[in-house]
Amino acid sequence: MRLLKYITKRILVMLLTLFVLVTILFFLFRVVPGDPVSMFIDSGLDRESQELLLKHYGLDKPIGQQYIIYIKNLLKGDFGNSFQYGKSALEVIAERFCNTMILMVTSLIIAFFIGITAGAALAWKRNTKFDMIGTIIALIVRCAPIFWTGMILLSIFAFKLKILPLGGMNTPGMRFDNLLEKYLNFDFLKHLILPAVTAALYSAATPLLVMRTSMLEVIKEDYIELARAKGLKEKRIMRKHAMRTALLPVVTIFAVQAGFAIGGSVLIETVFRWPGMGREIVLAVSFRDYPLAQTAFLLIGVMTALFNLIADILYAYLDPRVALD
Amino acid sequence: MKLLELNNVSIDYKTIEGNIRAVDKICLSIEDGEILGLVGESGCGKTTLIKSIIGLLPQNGTVAEGEIFFENENLLKLTKDEMRKKRWKDISMITQSAMNSLNPVYKISWQIVEAIQAHKEISKEDAYKRAEELFELVGLEKGRLNDYPHQYSGGMKQRAIIAMALALNPKIIIADEPTTALDVIVQSQILERINKLLENYQGSMILVTHDMSVIAQTCTKVAVMYGGKIVEYGEVNQVFKEPNHPYTMGLKNAFPSLVGEKNDLISIPGIPPNLLNEIKGCRFKDRCPFSIEKCSQENPKKTNIEEGFFYCHREEEREKLRVLASKQETWLQENIKE
Repeated sequence: MRLLKYITKRILVMLLTLFVLVTILFFLFRVVPGDPVSMFIDSGLDRESQELLLKHYGLDKPIGQQYIIYIKNLLKGDFGNSFQYGKSALEVIAERFCNTMILMVTSLIIAFFIGITAGAALAWKRNTKFDMIGTIIALIVRCAPIFWTGMILLSIFAFKLKILPLGGMNTPGMRFDNLLEKYLNFDFLKHLILPAVTAALYSAATPLLVMRTSMLEVIKEDYIELARAKGLKEKRIMRKHAMRTALLPVVTIFAVQAGFAIGGSVLIETVFRWPGMGREIVLAVSFRDYPLAQTAFLLIGVMTALFNLIADILYAYLDPRVALD
Repeated sequence: MKLLELNNVSIDYKTIEGNIRAVDKICLSIEDGEILGLVGESGCGKTTLIKSIIGLLPQNGTVAEGEIFFENENLLKLTKDEMRKKRWKDISMITQSAMNSLNPVYKISWQIVEAIQAHKEISKEDAYKRAEELFELVGLEKGRLNDYPHQYSGGMKQRAIIAMALALNPKIIIADEPTTALDVIVQSQILERINKLLENYQGSMILVTHDMSVIAQTCTKVAVMYGGKIVEYGEVNQVFKEPNHPYTMGLKNAFPSLVGEKNDLISIPGIPPNLLNEIKGCRFKDRCPFSIEKCSQENPKKTNIEEGFFYCHREEEREKLRVLASKQETWLQENIKE
């Protein structure tokens, strides 16, 4: 019951956050210098046609009214039409958004799996060579630019060993009847490995270092000593007592990392020619394609908020003290 | 029968500044069913000594010499896994800070069941039933078993730990200052509970404390530690009535007596010796109002008395010293050399 109340509260907070985000996005793009007219309406057109086009997109109305129309449409599930493509913004971005999310979620799962296990192992063997070398490697990988790591991996696995594809999401020429078929096949998996691992290596270092520090704190706690006194096996003490409690701060950074990962996907997508939405966003912003840009950023916002919600729920599940207040 | 016997045990800590001998050549034994009080100031080596018995010395601590026999088996010769199996089943522990000894993310019942299942082939339900019995024993409601530690008060946590320590009917329970972190009222409740439990409990217990009154209430034997050594050992009433070592005399003065006349409390001036340096002669000499030339030159010899022993150079004059020690002016700073 308590947990249910806690989750409801979190969801309400999330909805409020998203509303604020929508509002900020709407006005932010309109404050940016330059207007859509000069970008996509041909200056060769006569005045009358230009005004007609403006009217068509609703850009002739005052900004406040535009905002109200936008919110109304949004509640109906209408994200507006892209200025560039002339079709629904959601339609333009949806598939690319899915591609980005699959890549990012895969890389996050790998990153946190590596980070948590390696961080715990390093802390358990603290002050040994294993710990020292492991920490140094983690720091080096963390500091290396993501596109550089990507290119190194490409040159090894795609150029030299020729076991993985160079880029893209599917081997050219393949046809699929529906989305599921497109993602659920071995060819897609092969294309996913390198970009996912590259992104994972970059994001693994933070959970790894946080987990290590957190473990070092936890293993000094009295309940770890009591667990030893209880005659439990070392493995059980590490897994059930130390790691379980040390996980809490890692969950907190999960939400932050997820936001960074989605936002930072542009570089990965460029290096691996992944048909994600990174490039689409850059284009939409530079063309002042308001509906498309707003939709893209809103989707990112929704995902980040969702990850935060997941982290909050996970946190309440992991730490019984949280759901109380 | 001797249950536990410590033979010439020394324990070293490796630190950046050098080796610290926290426990120095201690001999001590506990009979079956005996309740031994271990008393001394903070830093005298009490906790180190008992941690060596249960095999939980910190990473930088080692037993440098000696033997620890438990049921005629040298615990120091056991493999890690053999020692692990003995913990809690034969030797259990009530930790110094019970407040933080329960894992915050698991229910109390889970933590007790875990301890039982680590040593016994037993179903979860049966282990849970045992936990219920234990809760009744320590005076906690059964319904609270499924709470988390943060829902307990300090006294309840301490009771839960005591319940857990009793879970497998261990042969010896080591209680490391079980009441220090509690307020006075809860302290006396817990002590009362421990005393009541001891009436029905067959095993032995080592009760570590720096509170003389706790020892007087609970124990049958007492060992007084100072600077890593046991300076006096004996039957509780005997030691309290007629302390033989000047340090014990001083300690007695520093605690209020529940029976007998009301005296002013007298503290022992000075601080315990730095164990980093090797100490020549008696370790208490710098704070002892009765120290003589010989005390700084030779280690005092063991004097055996009935049911006990003590180490002091002026063992012949102990009657006279006892009278002097009960006077306030004896313990003034200026009477003490240095």
